[in-house]
Order: sequence, then C-alpha cells, then structure tokens
Amino acid sequence: MTSVPLVSVFSADDSTKVTAKHIPLPAVFQTPIRPDIVSFVHTNIAKNRRQAHAVNPQAGMQHSAESWGTGRAVARIPRVSGSGTHRSGQAAFGNQCRKGRMSLPIKVWRRWHRRVNIKQKRHAAASAVAATGIVPLVLARGHRISQVPQIPLVVEDKIESYEKTTDALNFLKRFGAFEDVQKVVSTKVVRAGISKQRGKKYRVRKGPLVVYFNENAKLLKAFRNVPGVEVVNVTRLNLLQLAPGGQLGRFVIWTQSAFAHLDKLFGTYRYASVLKDGYQLLRPLLTNPDLARIINSNQVQEKVQPAKTTTVLHEVQKKNPLRNTKAMDRLNPYARKQRAAAIAAIKANTKGTKKIKKNKALKKASRAAFNKVSAALNDATNAAVQEEQDIKVKYFSVQKGAAQAE
Amino acid sequence: MSQQVLWEVVKGNNAFLVKRNGLRLSTDPFNNTGVQTYSSTGFITNNAIGVVPTQAKTNQINNVNLVTRKSTKFQQADRKNKNTQSVYASTLSVKHGIHTASRVIRKRFGTRRLGLQKAALRKLVNLNRANAVRRRNEIAATKAQKR
Repeated sequence: MTSVPLVSVFSADDSTKVTAKHIPLPAVFQTPIRPDIVSFVHTNIAKNRRQAHAVNPQAGMQHSAESWGTGRAVARIPRVSGSGTHRSGQAAFGNQCRKGRMSLPIKVWRRWHRRVNIKQKRHAAASAVAATGIVPLVLARGHRISQVPQIPLVVEDKIESYEKTTDALNFLKRFGAFEDVQKVVSTKVVRAGISKQRGKKYRVRKGPLVVYFNENAKLLKAFRNVPGVEVVNVTRLNLLQLAPGGQLGRFVIWTQSAFAHLDKLFGTYRYASVLKDGYQLLRPLLTNPDLARIINSNQVQEKVQPAKTTTVLHEVQKKNPLRNTKAMDRLNPYARKQRAAAIAAIKANTKGTKKIKKNKALKKASRAAFNKVSAALNDATNAAVQEEQDIKVKYFSVQKGAAQAE
Repeated sequence: MSQQVLWEVVKGNNAFLVKRNGLRLSTDPFNNTGVQTYSSTGFITNNAIGVVPTQAKTNQINNVNLVTRKSTKFQQADRKNKNTQSVYASTLSVKHGIHTASRVIRKRFGTRRLGLQKAALRKLVNLNRANAVRRRNEIAATKAQKR
C-alpha cells in the first residue's frame, strides 16, 4: 500500500468539527480478518468465566438398595430395601430409574477453563480490532451506525473527563451512537429459561464500546449506566468485547490517545510490538484480495485471450463421416479430391469398352443359365406337386369307396 | 475491503439474514431483491443503492427514499479521507419524481451491473405503485372530509 489510510479525530463537543484532520490508521486495522481464528479463540476464552458447579455426589445414592437377583419375575435393577412404604421395592440408583442418580454425575473437577496459545489470542484480538474499522462488518453485526460520521470513530480525549451520565448521553447523541443505545433499550427481553430465576433476568444487546487510555479517566462512571455501552482501557482490550459471540465488528468509539496507543500495543508491519513481547502482526495471504479488480486489471487482461462469443460444443445431429460425404468434407477438406482421384483411378484401370462388353456377355450367359436352372427347378417342383395331388385323390377315393362299400 | 472477503465473513450469519421456509432472505436496505446472494447483498459493496420506503406524512407525494453507501456530506468535505470507510447511508428522497430517481440508479449501475440496476428499478416502480394507491386513498379521504 503506497498511500497510508487516514482518519480524522472529531471534537467531543461538535461532531462536525475535526480537531486533527489526518492521523494515519494504526497497522492493526490492516490485519487480515480471520473469523476462523476469532471464533476458535472466542469459544475457548468464553469458557474461562465459568464457575464450577456439580451435582451432589450422594444424590440418588442414599439408599441401601440391592438387586433382588434373578428368579423373582422382576428386572435386576437394585431395589430399595425395607418395607412399610411405597418406596420399598422400587428401583433405585440407575440413571433410568425414578429418583435415581444421573449418569456420569457432574464433578467439580470437570475441566472448565481452556488455555489458548498466546499468539492465537493476540491474532484474534488484532483481527477483531481490524474488523471494528470495517463498516459492513459493523453493520452485519447489527449495530445502528447510519448516523455515525466516520468508522473508525476517533474522538478527542476530552470525553475521558466526563463525569456525568448526561454528558455521556449527549455525546453519544451528537455522534449518532444513540441509535445503537436505543436499539439496546428497545430489545431488552426477559430471558427464556430458568436462568431468569438465577440472576439473569434480562437479555440485553451490546451497544457501543468506548475505549480510553488514561488510567485516571472518569468516563467509566459516566458511561456505565448507559444501557449497552461498555468502557474499556485500550491496554486491556478483550476479545469477548471486541467480537461478542464470536461475531466480528463491534461498534467502537476510540479516544485519540487510545487510538494512538494501538501502534505500540500491536506493532506495525515494520516493527514488532513494543508491549506484546515478540508479537508481529499477521500478514495476509493476499495483499490485494479484490479478485474482480485483479481480473479486470491491465496486467491480466493483456495476457488473456479474447473472450469467445460463441462456443460450439458439437453439431446438432451427429453425421457419420464415413458414410456422409459432406460430414467427411467438413472434417477433411482433402477428402473430396481423394474421392475424385479414386473414381478416376477406377476408370483408368478398366481398359476401354471391350471389357465392359465382355462382362455384359458374361452376364447374359449367366442369366440364361440361371433361367434354365430355375425353369428346370420349376418343372420339377410342379411335377412333384402334381404327383402328390394324384396320390391324395387316389387315397381319399379309396376311402370313399370303402365307406360306400360298408 | 474487497467484496469477496467480506462476503466470506458475512454470508454465514449477519444481522440482516432471515432464514425462512428454506429461503435465505435479507432485510439489508441495500438489497433490492430481498434474497441474500453475493451480488444482491449491497451493504458489502462500495456503490450500492437501496430503494427504501419510508413512513409517509400526510400530503407527502412520495414516500420512497434512495439510500446510498457513500456519505456525501463528509466525503465532499474531506476528500483526503477517501481511504477510510465511507459510512453507511445518505438518503436521497425521491420528491422530484421517479424519473430522477431512476436516473440516479441507472447512472450508478450503468451497463455493467444490469441485474442490480433492474432490481433497483423494479423495486422503485413497485413502491411507487403502492404509493399511488395510498395517495389516491388519501385524496379521496380529504375530499370526503370536505363534504
């Protein structure tokens, strides 16, 4: 990239005023978007907040139940001992039994947390930060940013000294971020399921994420009561906040110093990171991923053959060239001449008309002979037929005579 | 960001995707066909136009807005910033009639993206037809009121 992308820093009081016109974009925003890394890291890191829970180890097992064995016309499952109550003789212990313990009871020592390689975590964070700078991804995540003047949104450090929530609210309204907050408010729903009885009554969406730099900033208190808004220090950027649900493209509002700090945090493509020891930003597989542009570029189009207007795959009906002269001529234009030459050669081979006459005479003779033979055959067959008839007549007349005689 | 890369990220799931009856539909305002496909998904491109109906006030002739991907106000003010993302939408209301609106659409898409052009124009026409019905009813209602 020859030209460095530039970003404006907006004045906190007036969204049309720009305090710093052109700041170069930190290199993190150029890292490749890797939803695969982000989703892998997210699914694992999301497990790290889990608190251990388990089933009572004695649950379902507090009986002296024993199997009755075979021969008593009941299933062999352990049965509750004793008498005098309905419970006695009922099945116990199995996971299939009523009041039995569950199969594979949950233990406290289940592996609740996952460790992820540091490099993967860092790549995921970098990718998530890059995604916050891409408008379609922020839109695709569902943030309402149609009134926001610029993405990434960088604001002067003045907001870090906000103490009142009203200041925070007005600031959000000025920068078109209030629409996102309104979305959060209007889509607050009572959670489905038992969790609502366990302290998670509402499902609340995520709104803007405000990233600041100075540790003494008071804006945490100003922004924390605004629904949906989260505030985080740039040195403690969290993938769970940058890509909630593993979905890239959180709407982030940066303060100027936080924005400038990103280069030190993640490094650039020329220098490795200062603060993340030995971390170098991931390089993209393709520096120019715009396939359409590559294909239509001069360099490619020069080498490419001109587009075919029509491609004929095969004729409508196949004609056998060995029998169809036109088909043969289409395939082999010399075939015509070959054929003419062959005919001429045949004609040249036959020596004048004598041979033709001789052939004719031969033909006549053979025909005569044939006729003779066939005539003789005919006579013979006729004679045979006649003989048969005579015998038949004789036979039947004899029969008649015999019948008459009786 | 190139459209191809963004599509790979966004095609699986996004805020506009609605899966219904085996169809993958889209509520993306820049999508004029309603179905989520690579070419019709406008919000991942730089130069989409969405034809969007708005809540019409009484006596408003036209209730259709064109929504474009370029933020004209800030782009014009600050041309050096063309490398940063042009934010979402600037709306152009279609109060001068659908002919000027269709001109905008045709100029934007030209002869190269005919499919998109036709989809946008079709939507414009259909919305205006519906709008005409609304307008007719409105006029009839005011006339009835006067009597």
